[in-house]
Amino acid sequence: MRRSRIAMAAMGLMIAPSAQARPVSYPDAWTLIQKTDRQSTSLWVHYTLTPKWSVGARSEWDRQDDFVFNGLQATYLAKRWFGENYQANVYGFGGIGVTSPVGDATFDTGASGFVGVLADWETRRLFTSYRARYFEADGLDGRFMQAARVGWAPYEGDTGDLHTWLMLEVDHRPDNSEEIGVTPLVRFFKGSALFEMGWSVTDDEPLINFTYRF
Amino acid sequence: MIRILLLTTTLAIARPAFAQDHAHHGHHDNHSHVYHDHNHNDAEQEASVETESAVSLYRTAEIDAALADGGSPVVVEVLGAVCDFCATAMNKTFGRHEGVKATYVDLDAKTLSLVLSSDDALTDEEIDKLVTNSGYKAKAVHRANHISGI
Repeated sequence: MRRSRIAMAAMGLMIAPSAQARPVSYPDAWTLIQKTDRQSTSLWVHYTLTPKWSVGARSEWDRQDDFVFNGLQATYLAKRWFGENYQANVYGFGGIGVTSPVGDATFDTGASGFVGVLADWETRRLFTSYRARYFEADGLDGRFMQAARVGWAPYEGDTGDLHTWLMLEVDHRPDNSEEIGVTPLVRFFKGSALFEMGWSVTDDEPLINFTYRF
Repeated sequence: MIRILLLTTTLAIARPAFAQDHAHHGHHDNHSHVYHDHNHNDAEQEASVETESAVSLYRTAEIDAALADGGSPVVVEVLGAVCDFCATAMNKTFGRHEGVKATYVDLDAKTLSLVLSSDDALTDEEIDKLVTNSGYKAKAVHRANHISGI
């Protein structure tokens, strides 16, 4: 039953191209992304095929639930709005792969998949975003998460400057003992590199993110 | 850890000392004929000619060298360029084109400055398409006679 639902989710991704996620860069660009938050640590490398599509390999270690996901992720830029001083985006994303237990987990290795959506709006001084993901794997209950972020830049950096953002992320993970997480963080951004450092005040866990485009 | 975060935050608020001086690339009041994209639909874009204020070419060593080598300047007004990733995307996308000798994205002025190998190395429509491929939108394309400060 669970396997059939995963298969249906994967088919849904292929049938509905307007349902995949961030980031999408410019054609022929590679992006390396490492993310660590109160829940998991992930490494993701993707290649942008067109201005609207990117595909890549993703590895994710869920430290709270003791499993590792290895698979492929596709991201689709569903809509982008432009203005003199702002940009807004809506992305859909999805992935399929294999999930294996680590540590004390007892379930068997099996197929898994996820779907999600990401939306953001930003100017050079303000930032907001929302993302949500549903993950399902053989031997595991489905997992849903959502997170919202707001940010403020204390100054407007021009091209090549160090850009600095002060941000606050609130995430909701219904399966966690601490359902709501609050993480203040600082984002540093220069050229093709982005680095974020924060601390979950609810779980006493670090947030460390790094993105590099080349 | 919270104290470290607070310290980092305080440091971040102070603008870095290496911020560039942008005083030399502001807009000017004279007018020029420009290519203007009116269509907000990504799939179908049309162009028309309007009269708008002229803009300045951003001067870097690379751009100055390309101009000295006989290149043709172009300034593109861009919508949606709000971060360094935007600048990187346009610089790399245009930099790969053989007709482009130098590029620079100015986030303050919201412009992409180009020096082409010749005036017809890229048409306005091709420039518009390359900006779109970079992930952004060209608002107007200004050619040499309508760019100030050259």
